[in-house]
Amino acid sequence: MKTKTYLIITIAVVALALSLAAQKQAPPEGGKPKDFRVPAFRTFTLENGLGVTLVPYGTLPKAAVRFVIRTGNVNEAAEGVWLSDLMFDYLKEGTGSRTARAIAEEAAAMGGEVGAGAGGDQSSVGGTVLAEFAPAFVKLLADIVRNPAFPESELARLQANFLRQLAVAKTEPTSLASEAYYRLLYGDHPYGRVYPTEDMIKGYTAGLVKTFYERNIGARRTHVYVAGVFDEKAVEAAVREALGDWSPGPEVVTNIPRAATKRVINVVDRPGSIQSTIFIGRPVVAPESPDYIGLELTDSLLGGAFFSRITANIRENKGYTYAPSSILDTRFRSACWSEQADVSTEVTGAALKEIIFEIDRLGREAPAEEEVRGIQNYFAGIFVLQNSTPAGLIGQLAFLRLHGLERSYLETYVQTVYKVTPEDVRRIAGGLLASADMTVVIVGDLAKIKDQIAPFGPVAKLN
Amino acid sequence: MPLSAGRKARSLGVAALVVILVCGWSCKPAPKTAYTVPVEYHRLPNGLRVVLSPDATAPIAVVAVYYKIGFRVEPRDRTGFAHLFEHMMFQGSANLGKMEFIRLVESNGGVLNGSTRYDFTNYFEIVPAHKLETVLWAEADRMRGLDITQENLTNQQGVVTNEVKVNVLNQPYGGFPWLDLPQAANVNWHNAHNFYGDLQDLEAATLDDVKAFFKTFYAPNNAVLVIVGDFEPGAALALAEKYFADIPAAELPAPPDLSEPRQEEEKRKVREDPLATKPALAFAYHMPERWTPEYFAMGLLDQILVQGQDSRLHQKLVQEKGVTGAVSGGINFPLGDMFDYNGPMLWSASLIHDETVTPESILALVDEEVEKLRTAPVGEDILARTLIKVRSGYYDSVGGFFGFGRANLLASLALFDDEPGRINRIEDEFRKVTPELIMKTAQDVLRPTNRTAVILKATAKPVGE
Repeated sequence: MKTKTYLIITIAVVALALSLAAQKQAPPEGGKPKDFRVPAFRTFTLENGLGVTLVPYGTLPKAAVRFVIRTGNVNEAAEGVWLSDLMFDYLKEGTGSRTARAIAEEAAAMGGEVGAGAGGDQSSVGGTVLAEFAPAFVKLLADIVRNPAFPESELARLQANFLRQLAVAKTEPTSLASEAYYRLLYGDHPYGRVYPTEDMIKGYTAGLVKTFYERNIGARRTHVYVAGVFDEKAVEAAVREALGDWSPGPEVVTNIPRAATKRVINVVDRPGSIQSTIFIGRPVVAPESPDYIGLELTDSLLGGAFFSRITANIRENKGYTYAPSSILDTRFRSACWSEQADVSTEVTGAALKEIIFEIDRLGREAPAEEEVRGIQNYFAGIFVLQNSTPAGLIGQLAFLRLHGLERSYLETYVQTVYKVTPEDVRRIAGGLLASADMTVVIVGDLAKIKDQIAPFGPVAKLN
Repeated sequence: MPLSAGRKARSLGVAALVVILVCGWSCKPAPKTAYTVPVEYHRLPNGLRVVLSPDATAPIAVVAVYYKIGFRVEPRDRTGFAHLFEHMMFQGSANLGKMEFIRLVESNGGVLNGSTRYDFTNYFEIVPAHKLETVLWAEADRMRGLDITQENLTNQQGVVTNEVKVNVLNQPYGGFPWLDLPQAANVNWHNAHNFYGDLQDLEAATLDDVKAFFKTFYAPNNAVLVIVGDFEPGAALALAEKYFADIPAAELPAPPDLSEPRQEEEKRKVREDPLATKPALAFAYHMPERWTPEYFAMGLLDQILVQGQDSRLHQKLVQEKGVTGAVSGGINFPLGDMFDYNGPMLWSASLIHDETVTPESILALVDEEVEKLRTAPVGEDILARTLIKVRSGYYDSVGGFFGFGRANLLASLALFDDEPGRINRIEDEFRKVTPELIMKTAQDVLRPTNRTAVILKATAKPVGE
């Protein structure tokens, strides 16, 4: 996963007690809530196991098409990191009947562009086009996914791009922190291998890519989503015509990790760094857990929202940082939580202290009803946003499918959110988010921060 | 509260939803599916412009308040002040103390942000439709006046200093090329200073500066209120009047001279980056004046040269020559699009490359592609494809980010052109562009003497593990 996209649900709370002066006006309540239902969609499966979901939605004449394929970095071997990334980039280099340029020009003539990228557990090939081109775009994507040419002539160029990307990542504080953090949590599991070595990249061949493709791509692993404005019959016909005779291909191969955590302050020394990039976190429960939605709320109250407790503290009160945020990083049957912040070097220890203080405080004292209600309202609002665009709907439905959740999960989501109690939040913060054995990674100037961070645990230098 | 499209733009709470305001519009072949944006335009007696664009697709309302004050117009000894001030708008007003604005919006199910650009500073909320009144009240409260302490100012100076560190000073390619190019290409201070601000200028800001800036620029007659989404226009206008109509107008200062002289010699600037290990190159050309035929021709040239994988620079530099993995660029890139600015502007592109390739050789490849456009008219097929890209991008823009993309466009057209209804005429302007005009525009705009290149030399040692 070269670029990580996180589902960040933000929420809020003020740490300061409110003293509304008597003469202040109260904000108007607004009107009555309007009904919102998750748009209707239709899902069916072809004989070869390929899944299809069609979501007619909205009035703007555009359609989003996404092939979600159940493979990604999780299927890479220890010596094959980013091989799935390479394979997905390579798909766009041509098919039996189309060159890379032809693919680009055809997609552009539909008002779109083909995007292909590997993810941790599932990967995507897709794009958005003008409504009238949805069936043709499905066919183009089908050709790309089914008939890749993997031309030898393009390999060296793709390798050079990967080497360059790797070099850039190794100079970015957040990338360095992420690499260390996931290795510490997931160890030898593929989730623990964020970056390859240069030698790995140089050793990749078209043959290795082809083998990876054969082991991991096929109808059974693929689900086609189309959402937005499109001709439903024509799109269904295009899917059946272009993908109905695809071989079922390999079964899904899962690999569920055991994540570990230990309170050690791991430092990637970056001499001269004027900020410290802090990750502090631990493994938590995944979406199939009954506590997951409560955990989402807790995460937002603590660090996800703009006026969350940690943000209110280290940004709006102390001015230590610009964009601190907590993140729930959800994988298949595994998830981890972290707070991430880039803080000025001289306040590294002070920031760490405040972050831990806020986590511990929430684990000790249940938040006020009003604070929890604010977050619940926030989630109800965000839920509408998440389910009211074609791309957002596809993301939501692909999330459900990956985690084996029913449609009812979505339909009852807001109700479930409102059932979470302040005591649930406290219990989750004190248990799932117990800070005592949280893993800490800091990318910063070790000589300058050594004394500041020593009080928070044993310090280990990683480089 | 980002200044820009920096890497650490504060999340708005929804995954992978980025404001993508594509730079072009519409089409020559009549669209099979027409789409008209509803627009109502009003002006309150105090000068506040109000634009309403109902859309009942989802029960959401977007409220956007744009003030006609951008970083181009900040005081000379206070670089970065327009952006620092943007942060102060979240620090307290008569009825909403520090953090209360943010909490009000989020705990009512909404998201919010603000940003500072060349010619405006904006504030917006995306809320459940029934909370429209709540948000209008809150925006009016802070337009009426701020209530800010020294402590709040000091706090936000710390936050903004960290913003500059995380987006510029502590990152490889920090501020490249969006801070570098304007400083290298422009000569008028307004267009050529450090928009994020020098740290000592940020530290020097006082409460008096904050008060003076608010009084000068944050008046209803220097602003536009845009509402997009699921609402009834008559009721929304009544609410706008109820909350905003009694805010007094101010006497606005005469706008400064933003003009740039015609560039007659190619410029080069070398920048060393001690945090990067791979070199990079950016280049820019001064744009023709807004809303001229040549300007729309440049909108098409932008599509032809750098937007999408079919574009000529992608095909040449990525696909054929393998110089880089990606070329990015555009008009007003990466801060905005071709409609949300009001003064001199650059069309630019940039890329990261290997040390084995020289910037000169890359510029020579760029020139090869540019020269083709300067010496022969593009074919009708290219023009047709380009217009389709433009139309698709237009739809993304008017539908993008839950309607905020539409609000951004309407706000700019109201604030800079006093005519938000132009949103539905943009495609006509593109349809008028001929292959000959594209060639003539390329000859005039994409001439080497109108170009500025910034060459980034990477001087870092890798952080080993």
